[in-house]
Amino acid sequence: MPEVTCRQCGQPLMSQKTKERLTEIAREKGIKNHEEFLFLCPNCKLLAFSQKVTGNRLQKVSRAKPVPYRRAEKLEPVKSDPRLQTTVFKTECFSCNQGCDAVVHVKDGRVVKVEGDASSHVTKGVLCSKGLASTEHLYHKERLHYPLKRAGERGGGKWQRITWDEALDTIVAKLGETEKKYGKEGIVLATGTSRGWLLPFYRFGNAYGVQYTAPGTAQCALPRFTGSTLVGGTRFLENPDYDHTRCMIIWGANPTSTFPVKGRGMMDAWIRGAKMIVVDPMLTEASSKADLWLQLRPGTDAALALGMLNIIIQEGLYDKDFVAKWCFGFEELRKRAAEYPPERVAEITWVPKEKIIEAARLFAREKPSCITVVVAIEQNADTLSTSRAIGMLSALTGNIDVPGGNLIQMPVPVGLWLNADLALTNLLTEEQHERRLGSQKYPLLSGKHSVSFPPSAFNYDVWQAILTGKPYPIRAMYCQGSNMVQAYANSKMVLEAIQSLDFFASADFYPNVTNDWADILLPVATWMERDFVTSSDQVSANSAHLQQKTVPVGECWSDLKILNELAKRLGFAEKMFPTDEAFFDLLLQPAEMSFQDFKKAGVIKLPWEYKKYEKKGFATPSAKVQLHDTKLEALGFDPLPQYVEPAESPMQTPELAKEYPLIITTGGRVPVFRHSEFRNIAILREIVPDLQISIHPDTARRYGIQENDPMVVESPRGEMEGKAAFTPGIDPRVIQVASHWPGKSNVNMIMDNEKCAPVIGSAQLRCQLCRVRKG
Amino acid sequence: MDRVLLVDMDACVRCYSCEIACRQENGLSFETKSRWCRVQTVGPRKVESELHLDFQPVMCLQCTEPMCAQFCPVEAISKREDGRVVIDEGACIGCRQCIYGCPYGAMHFNEITQKAGKCNLCLSRTEAGIEPSCVQHCIGGALRYVGPAELQELTRGRHSVQLGRTTYLSSKWALNPIVFEVRG
Repeated sequence: MPEVTCRQCGQPLMSQKTKERLTEIAREKGIKNHEEFLFLCPNCKLLAFSQKVTGNRLQKVSRAKPVPYRRAEKLEPVKSDPRLQTTVFKTECFSCNQGCDAVVHVKDGRVVKVEGDASSHVTKGVLCSKGLASTEHLYHKERLHYPLKRAGERGGGKWQRITWDEALDTIVAKLGETEKKYGKEGIVLATGTSRGWLLPFYRFGNAYGVQYTAPGTAQCALPRFTGSTLVGGTRFLENPDYDHTRCMIIWGANPTSTFPVKGRGMMDAWIRGAKMIVVDPMLTEASSKADLWLQLRPGTDAALALGMLNIIIQEGLYDKDFVAKWCFGFEELRKRAAEYPPERVAEITWVPKEKIIEAARLFAREKPSCITVVVAIEQNADTLSTSRAIGMLSALTGNIDVPGGNLIQMPVPVGLWLNADLALTNLLTEEQHERRLGSQKYPLLSGKHSVSFPPSAFNYDVWQAILTGKPYPIRAMYCQGSNMVQAYANSKMVLEAIQSLDFFASADFYPNVTNDWADILLPVATWMERDFVTSSDQVSANSAHLQQKTVPVGECWSDLKILNELAKRLGFAEKMFPTDEAFFDLLLQPAEMSFQDFKKAGVIKLPWEYKKYEKKGFATPSAKVQLHDTKLEALGFDPLPQYVEPAESPMQTPELAKEYPLIITTGGRVPVFRHSEFRNIAILREIVPDLQISIHPDTARRYGIQENDPMVVESPRGEMEGKAAFTPGIDPRVIQVASHWPGKSNVNMIMDNEKCAPVIGSAQLRCQLCRVRKG
Repeated sequence: MDRVLLVDMDACVRCYSCEIACRQENGLSFETKSRWCRVQTVGPRKVESELHLDFQPVMCLQCTEPMCAQFCPVEAISKREDGRVVIDEGACIGCRQCIYGCPYGAMHFNEITQKAGKCNLCLSRTEAGIEPSCVQHCIGGALRYVGPAELQELTRGRHSVQLGRTTYLSSKWALNPIVFEVRG
């Protein structure tokens, strides 16, 4: 046992004998300062080195420099690598749902290496930690390799291997039983973020005639897609043109951690010297690099955007030609924005007035400028207003579809992941639209007027229907790729609902707290084991990419194949596809290409055109940018963006705030995990072993909590645990808790899922109330 | 080797791609307990009433006079002509003295091979004309593998310190050189 401990952290380091020997060598050789490093553990030496090199002498000089040379190889879909003696497949990483070009090295039938694709015009060869750890995922000892049926009690963790035929036949028989008793309304489908298969999933649901829900949707992607589509006819907020921009707003996003494709582009622009404004309640990787950081109160994004619109209008900083020619409802917006003068906005958002004015001026003047948004703006009290107001910032400043602005997607000649026609939304009847859960209250989520995504059921109502039988009973569920209990707010309710189903089947990579309750568990193929045609405008607005099968593992099937095979047994085979490849052929039809052709090409890339709206106008009712929205007006909602105070806040609910005085914002991410995934990959988990709760030291000390102490966070819904991570980079009235952690660290256990944003039904995950104590 | 590793501290975003790229390239499974590249966080802290949060990957600096070699009892560590510090695995006896002896924490013990190991700037890649894996996969663009002309262009007007064959670069912090020396 080592008797000598690290001088810094006290960890056991070496034996007394080793210490003496090392000291002797140091003396003999005349090594200066050897005491400084010999008796520190490697961890403490690394940190000491970084702290010493960095120092504390702040002397800012220009940071602008040439962007890094990124590798650029010739595109070859399959080749051999003589150095590594491997066969190399050019494919698409789906460690998250984005799709980064990657190369997979195969040797003797096994994947031996996964790297970024140096021929990619999108990623320029980078790949994130999750993608780089893909072989660990592919060959993980806990992965499901065969279909399983429950053996013994539900949730007992005992399984029996069965054949695919038995698994699918059982699912079809059980769904049939439910249908006989309760009609098709008794069945619901569920999905997570998906790995490209959202379109066939929706198509399957619509052809089958049953409703579906996604734990994301209402609080991820749908509000911002809908917002920018209402404003400009397309999801232009998804495509900032980093290559040509001079100024970026990174709004509630930390793209290098969560959206590496965007993160690479953002950082290249930043290195080049583009100005960066970051809107975030926390000091993060992104906000630490900001030229201007707006540290707002969580959930007040809409007020900030309206305040900036007001300044831009009042000071005449908007693009007058563009507004005159291409904007509808400017006068109405001007009046509405005038209700948000800087003083009021500063009071709502906690951002100093001067900074709001500076940000508005910088963004409007330093053109071309672009905006990056992701999920944080979709989890507050009025997510649609937030997304629309932010989209309008881009519009009023004339930054839509210009070099360096936010781009309108090119009409890539392949079916897109959210194409309503390919999803067979036209098969849905008026009655189905009306009876879909949530359609009355949240028409742009669950009603026939939904934009961007086919309509899906409102989560809370689904759980309620399962638990209470009202307005009609739901008794069976098939879920594809979602750990709902960990991923969705109010975990207790979600778990109870799943436990109380008559039948639950799930398709996934691993057993988890959700599908532990399944009757049938299906093993799915990772991105390395299947083909696909990927075309997401979030990744590239002018290209489609190849994903190709490299190796098989066990009896894992692609999600698409599972749907196709289920459809055959359920009697609507003709609406789905005989094989996966038949679906890809359909996607590629407009390009006059078969999947086999595409496998040789590897990519379809279109030359870029700007200002595409000049030909046909914007894809909106007025063919202009809609500042005043006629669709919302017709549905009886406010046609202009507004700020709504969070359902729980010190201002909205002062009585509740006496008991729960702190604002909790959840959903902050770490780069090594994706939602609930990859915490079982040892080399990733080692980097972030447990949940860190970001808290201001002054706040923590007030509750007797020291740094790294276990701490408990309570809300009216319950409590959860984590470790206190001190940071002066958060407001003392706010704590930040990363989401999707398992067990007692699952923050979703204490989050409300009932009080949701109007029109679109987003849970207010970024802005609820809590209190803390020492654990 | 006329190229050096450049660590642009401005651009590091703590994405950990370099760490995982390194483990994969060099076959460092979890069980080896070897992490040749480690991203460090300095802060969050307040300096001159501003909040700062900084990151940087740390790997072997390829020291001009490698201290690890001083502590190796079997002369398994040597400095190559091209500047790389390399370990002769066949000669290494796994005594760990070099791990204690490295002033920076860049030398690691491989629990599977029971030998010392560290970054050699992806020898097999760089000899084949491909940049190190950490450099290729760096999302922030903080790691670069550059020749003298590019190095000069990038460091001009900025704070930089060269340590061995590694240059740290910042446009914010007046960096400190750290050199541990053997008395002449």
